[in-house]
Amino acid sequence: MIDLTTMMWKEVAEFFGNRRFLTIFTISIGLMGVLPLTTGVQGSPVAIILRGMFVLLATLMVVANTAPDLVLHERVGHTLDYLLTTRLPDYAIFGAKVFVSAAVGYIAAMLSLAVQLVATGLFGGTGWHWLFLSLPLGRVVAFGLTADLGLYVAVVGTFVALRVGEQRAAYMVTVVSVGVLLVPFLVGWLHVALTMSWMTQATIAFGVFSIALGLLGLRLFRREMLVLYLQE
Amino acid sequence: MDSQAIECHGLSRRFGARMAVSDLAFNVPHGSVFGFLGPNGAGKTTTVRMLVGMLRPSGGSVKVLGRDPIVEGEWVRSHCGVMLDNVGLYDRLSARQNLDFAARVARFTVAQRRERVESALHLIDLWDRRDDRVSSFSKGMRQKLGLARALIADPELLILDEPTAGLDPTNIVMVRDLLVSLAQESGRTIFLCTHLLAEAQRICDRVAIIQGGRLVAIGDPNKLGSQGLPTFRLTLSGGDSDKIGDLSLPEDVQLSPLIGDEWRATVADPADIEPVVATLVGAHIGIRAVIPEQVSLEEEYLRLVGGERND
Repeated sequence: MIDLTTMMWKEVAEFFGNRRFLTIFTISIGLMGVLPLTTGVQGSPVAIILRGMFVLLATLMVVANTAPDLVLHERVGHTLDYLLTTRLPDYAIFGAKVFVSAAVGYIAAMLSLAVQLVATGLFGGTGWHWLFLSLPLGRVVAFGLTADLGLYVAVVGTFVALRVGEQRAAYMVTVVSVGVLLVPFLVGWLHVALTMSWMTQATIAFGVFSIALGLLGLRLFRREMLVLYLQE
Repeated sequence: MDSQAIECHGLSRRFGARMAVSDLAFNVPHGSVFGFLGPNGAGKTTTVRMLVGMLRPSGGSVKVLGRDPIVEGEWVRSHCGVMLDNVGLYDRLSARQNLDFAARVARFTVAQRRERVESALHLIDLWDRRDDRVSSFSKGMRQKLGLARALIADPELLILDEPTAGLDPTNIVMVRDLLVSLAQESGRTIFLCTHLLAEAQRICDRVAIIQGGRLVAIGDPNKLGSQGLPTFRLTLSGGDSDKIGDLSLPEDVQLSPLIGDEWRATVADPADIEPVVATLVGAHIGIRAVIPEQVSLEEEYLRLVGGERND
């Protein structure tokens, strides 16, 4: 556990020196916080879905950038080679990258939600209220689904970066992978009656799937996967 | 404790069709400074990577501090301080944070970390730049910081790949003195890959020269060229190389041409130079000078690897 927290400390410390990350983080929160003002009538099912989507998009934008960057930045700077010469176990290296990028995505979602609340309160014309959070369904999307999505994108993004050597390409592949794998879920969401029970079950199922994927990743991950030339 | 810090037997590594390292065999005794020399692409870095378990050997075996780095990689790495040719510092972190991370990896307590980081930064004279991001550091500063990071956990074995690359002469001397004191005073084993042959000759107890992935020479750096035998540099006149080559010299004497009129005589005993001189005089070859010499490591290195292309 101490090795995992050591790696996580390093990843978090690096964020504060990463201007690109800070820019994407700020833009995602701002954009996904303000854009919901355009979704129209408060409380309609469509508005609820769309506002929930903006929170999910904030997570996706941040994690799809962060997860590959945590691997690729180390590869470009040759710090991976150093990391591989340390006693850090494989699970700490992989776990920290996935956990930190998922956590950062979740924090981005929560901050964008806060911006949404303030923006709608100030400019939405309907006064202060809890937006879709006032409904149990909205809370499932905001707090449950974003966590699932963050973890899922973090695992996929980390594994994509192990194979794709360039930041932009890794980002695109991650987003496409997420899009493809989310199709069945989104189709179900749009076609099935948006009941609390269905959403809760879907969120739990997605959560279990993401955790299973993360555990599988931990099991499959080998430190030599971090360096492309070692794969020859 | 095992008497050898590193033991390699028939160590090989293949990348596709290319053999990067082939059939390496050498031992590094505890507490010694071992120089690992060779041109770029000779296989030094691949060997280092196998020593720390980053790369699985294609053949042969390696033991580091008595353990197999593939089977017991975590143990081996926790007892080794490694500095690779690409130092691999975190540019987004400060000098202090880079060292603190290494100290955290070694599982030191907060107080130990603070003490070690501080003394390491003073040792490499970077205390005043401790909170500056490493991205603003010069190559020399990075090298020193990389060396400090390798030392932070007091490892039994230091594996250093070009630790003096990019350093100015003052810092080269500082690093050299540091390595000597680490080996002599603290009894650490140092495996040193370097291109600075004069430095290797000065500080290494033994050196190995690798070329094209194969070991081409190994031994005491001061005796490598002459296999430990006395040598003399002769300046001759009035004889062509064929004539000199055809001379009947005493057994155990080897006369080899250098540049121009210069020749090198390797003899079994210093007194054996006298019959060599007598033979040359008898053949009407003029002798302008006979000087006892020590074959430099650089000379031997260039003889062994100089003729081949560096890949």
